[in-house]
Amino acid sequence: MSGTATHCPYCALQCAMTLTPSGSGSPEVTGREFPTNRGGLCRKGWTSADLLRHPDRVTEPLLRDDDGAHHPISWDQALELIRDKVLVSRARYGADSIGVFGGGGLTNEKAYQLGKFARLALGTSRIDYNGRFCMSSAAAAGNRAFGLDRGLPFPLEDLGSAGTILMLGSNTADTMPPFVQHLQAARDAGGLIVVDPRRSATAELTSQGRGIHLQPTPGTDLALLLGLAHVVIMEGLADQEYIQARTRGYSAVARSVAPWWPERVQSVTGVPAQLVRETARRLAEPGGSYILTGRGVEQHVNGTDTATAAINLALLLGLPGSPRNGYGTLTGQGNGQGGREHGQKADQLPGYRKITDPAARKHVAKVWGVPEEAIPGPGLPAVELLASLGQPDGVRCLFVHGANVAVSAPNASSVIDGLRRLDFLVVCDFFRSETAAEADLILPVLQWAEEEGTMTNLEGRVLRRRAAVQPPTGARSELWIMSRLADLLDAPSSFSEDPETVFTELRAASAGGIADYSGIDYPLLDSGAAAYWPYPAGSGGTPRLFLDRFAHDDGRAVLHAVSAPLHTPGDGTLALATGRLLEHYQSGTQTRRVDDLLTTTSVQQLQIHPVTAAGLGVLDGAEVEVGNCRGVVAARALLTAAVRPDTVFLPFHFPGAGNANLVTSSDTDPVSGMPEFKTTRVWVRVRSIERAVAV
Amino acid sequence: MTEQIIVVGFGPVAARFIDLLEPVLASGAAQLTVIGAEPDPAYNRVLVADVGVGRASAQAISLSDRAHLEALGADVRLTCTVLRIDRARRLIHLSDGSTCHYDRLVLATGARPVIPYLAGLNPDPLQPALPLGVTTLRDLADARTLEDVVRRRGDVVVLGGGILGLEAALAAAEEGARVTVVHHGGYPLARMIDDGGGQVLAAALRQHGVRLVSGAKAVGLELSHGERFTALRMDDGRLVSGDLLLLSCGVRPRTELAEGAGLPVATGILVDHSLQAHHDEFIWAIGDCAEVRCASCPSCASDTTPSGLIGPGWRQAEWLAGHFTGSLAGTGCAPSSSVLVPSATDTQPVVMLKARGVDAVVAGDTTADLWTAHRNGTAVALWADPQHGRYVKMVTRDGVLVGLVCVGMPRTAAELVLLFERGSELPADRSSLLRLDGADSLPSAAASDPADTVCRCAGVSRGSIEQAAVVGCSTVAEVSASTRAGTGCGGCHGDIRTIIEEHFQKVPAAQL
Repeated sequence: MSGTATHCPYCALQCAMTLTPSGSGSPEVTGREFPTNRGGLCRKGWTSADLLRHPDRVTEPLLRDDDGAHHPISWDQALELIRDKVLVSRARYGADSIGVFGGGGLTNEKAYQLGKFARLALGTSRIDYNGRFCMSSAAAAGNRAFGLDRGLPFPLEDLGSAGTILMLGSNTADTMPPFVQHLQAARDAGGLIVVDPRRSATAELTSQGRGIHLQPTPGTDLALLLGLAHVVIMEGLADQEYIQARTRGYSAVARSVAPWWPERVQSVTGVPAQLVRETARRLAEPGGSYILTGRGVEQHVNGTDTATAAINLALLLGLPGSPRNGYGTLTGQGNGQGGREHGQKADQLPGYRKITDPAARKHVAKVWGVPEEAIPGPGLPAVELLASLGQPDGVRCLFVHGANVAVSAPNASSVIDGLRRLDFLVVCDFFRSETAAEADLILPVLQWAEEEGTMTNLEGRVLRRRAAVQPPTGARSELWIMSRLADLLDAPSSFSEDPETVFTELRAASAGGIADYSGIDYPLLDSGAAAYWPYPAGSGGTPRLFLDRFAHDDGRAVLHAVSAPLHTPGDGTLALATGRLLEHYQSGTQTRRVDDLLTTTSVQQLQIHPVTAAGLGVLDGAEVEVGNCRGVVAARALLTAAVRPDTVFLPFHFPGAGNANLVTSSDTDPVSGMPEFKTTRVWVRVRSIERAVAV
Repeated sequence: MTEQIIVVGFGPVAARFIDLLEPVLASGAAQLTVIGAEPDPAYNRVLVADVGVGRASAQAISLSDRAHLEALGADVRLTCTVLRIDRARRLIHLSDGSTCHYDRLVLATGARPVIPYLAGLNPDPLQPALPLGVTTLRDLADARTLEDVVRRRGDVVVLGGGILGLEAALAAAEEGARVTVVHHGGYPLARMIDDGGGQVLAAALRQHGVRLVSGAKAVGLELSHGERFTALRMDDGRLVSGDLLLLSCGVRPRTELAEGAGLPVATGILVDHSLQAHHDEFIWAIGDCAEVRCASCPSCASDTTPSGLIGPGWRQAEWLAGHFTGSLAGTGCAPSSSVLVPSATDTQPVVMLKARGVDAVVAGDTTADLWTAHRNGTAVALWADPQHGRYVKMVTRDGVLVGLVCVGMPRTAAELVLLFERGSELPADRSSLLRLDGADSLPSAAASDPADTVCRCAGVSRGSIEQAAVVGCSTVAEVSASTRAGTGCGGCHGDIRTIIEEHFQKVPAAQL
């Protein structure tokens, strides 16, 4: 087939697709055979090309004038304005008055160059990204346990050999539908076990004898995992030989789970004790077992500990690094994996290096051709960075790339207040997102089908993104923007606008690091080679990690004892969980502009159990308010027995009055900086007519 | 200055307390001495029955690591008891002949099993010297005694129809022993369960191989050669014979140490709402030995006698450790409240049968009658299906669950316990809770409305697929190519096939 072979713009599954030109309109999208998606695409992928020539597209730099409206200016004017603002802010308030907020959807090249741009061209330590809201807890847990964080340490196809798959807090049937194909063998064996407070589309896959759905009350996943580990140890199901040979920390973990017998777990989680036992026994059966976590268990103030408990369970069963077994976390954003490896995190340099590690600083400084002192120290994680906007000693000038913090950050109204306090806000986007709407300057950038680059999918496999169509004449690549600004700011080192050149530099910067890309180049990827990092020069890459050793110095995995809170006193409120719909991606900036995706899901809907709704006088389709001390979300009630009666659910794709993050808290995990997105206490009430009219 | 903290007792509550003190031990703000009477560091007493029937090892239920504590500078003394407390000098005198000074003394002495009055049994509660073939089930030594009999599939006679006796009985029966439970009342758990629940529970126990001798009053033991147990004798002269008599007649707080030191004692050692002993600012008590009663404080109208369950004790341990840590670290970061606020479940514990085959939960007040009109807002909802071993009773006050019995319905039980623990209101439609244990999910009938979505991934309706069949698509692949249905996860291929088949079955019929 003639056409351009590339990958979907959206999630981390990065389904392979072919873009074929079709006359003057958008290119035609077809699924392409590939091990991860096997030719399949979901609704989001099928309709992705609708956005390339969308009338809302921003096609020239837009400056907010005194009248509050955005007006076009030239690129030269835009870049010079940025230079002036940066220089003034730096002179008056210091370099850390400038902040950068990146995204997990940026290509490796852009993510890498953004980190370098922040530190060398802007001179600031204040860079972080929206992956903090996504993968940070799983990443912290993976690093702590294995010494390395690659979402899936094995190719996705390996799941095909599993008899049992335990999925915790992941709704792939909605978020990445083609993934579900890889669950088929486990389903056929009756071994798909889904942990979710909702009977999600994924949980529904366990019906008719295909597996087990465990439905804990929100915020109790950790207790459930400790209970599973308890049964594994107590019933002699632990792989003691593996534990002896490949791990350390067993006895502390064994003691820490001793207090979590199944009946006690039941009284905390609402999961019947027998199902806890059954699940543990099933996982211990020979025939291949995998444990996979998603944001549902990670996006909590104890998300790192919960992910650690899942890893501990996997280690007790001897799964990680054993053939036909494993543990993994399912990365969400398109380049959520690559985006967390190459330096747009506050504490990190390329190659998954620590910014505080002298050897790492030395290596990167050498690649960049600058003295080590030129690289600032660690900055602030996302929630703290956003909290500092416009505050004394905080960030006064912010660059946003590939993120929509006005919708996606917790406690959204306070984030919007912060954006409005800034001296200057630059947003690079191809649509006027809710964040762009707050910007002083909007810079129009390229969409996926207009650019070259690489993405690293949820398996740690590096993929080529290829340009299939010409961009609108006024849009520019972010590499080009950074390159020009670096010139204007007299930045040291070099900032190329050519993706392949930037990738070549990334390879050198990552060499010897944890996420080593030094053996990968564009010709290799263009040959179709399956390139999994670490891929040091001269190697063949690493499809399967940990087969012989873990990445800690002694080669062992670390069992790290964690504890669950004992009591969650009831206060009559409901637990709000947030999450995704099949039709939408992230803050919805893109998918809310696709007509086909809006037909079923154009308004914010609150999923609520009929029994709970009856008690509140809420009828199906009623206009309701969901609120707490931070704010109130407007939604329409959708009565469904798929949620627990003590839980309600809102998707996070909607802006304005329907933004679920108006009520979420900016409390964060002490280890990872992850906010609490999944168990917010809220009340629900019918919206009165007066209020409805006022809104 | 380093404070000397002494913990007397090394059971699960002490272990939890000590775990949480680690930060102040590590920082040097406090030094710890732990006195344990048993030879083993703390283990999970709740699971002793599992060790007793050979399901778990002693190692597996361990809660503390002596070496780890000693590395933190703690003085761990096992097989050691406190002879007396010298409150005036703040000293304790130990069975190893030594004395230790304390700045803070925490009594976590727990409880001991009640030895019933039976002819042939030495009822000295402080020095129980039981005949051969008679044991309680409190510590690891007891577990080993039981394990010997279970392993050779012997006859076990359990005296007592309380929760611990039933758990041991069921576990032993499942592991192959022959088990008889001798108890008062018409059914086991008679003290807490209602009549209907008790009947259903009794039937379930029998079905799981446990023989019940109900309404029985045991009066004495039959011993061979005057030393080994052979049978239990009832007041009507009946004999229940076996290889082992397991006494499961409840526990009693160990208070004699406190009593000997002149501290006020009722059922347990009396402590106020900050777990401090009455009239002594240097002594605290937690867990099974403690009785919270604080005369001065109005919220303490109802006192909390020790429940014998682990949850309240752990909560006390957590609160007190937080209290100590806050004052020792000088951060003032004490727990959120300056007194330990009792949880509803401290006074009305949830009793959940830990067993593999029988599901039973009892909590709160279960006595209310279904038909009596209650003036205080109490109402009862009931579901009974004895033939299938199912029984649910929900007692509510103003809609809030205050008592429950649930037998044979595990999902309902799990949900009810959660609601009870959280003090939540029940849904007006109580039957919605019963449906949790209905047939897991109704077989999803194939969509028949043309607007129903068949392929969720690509968002294709049944109507679109039927239309594709009408225009000639006769295979899943053709339908996929035409409509994108089945191009995501592929989970709907079977449904698409069915729709195609239905279409081509209809066609000839319509043409006739």
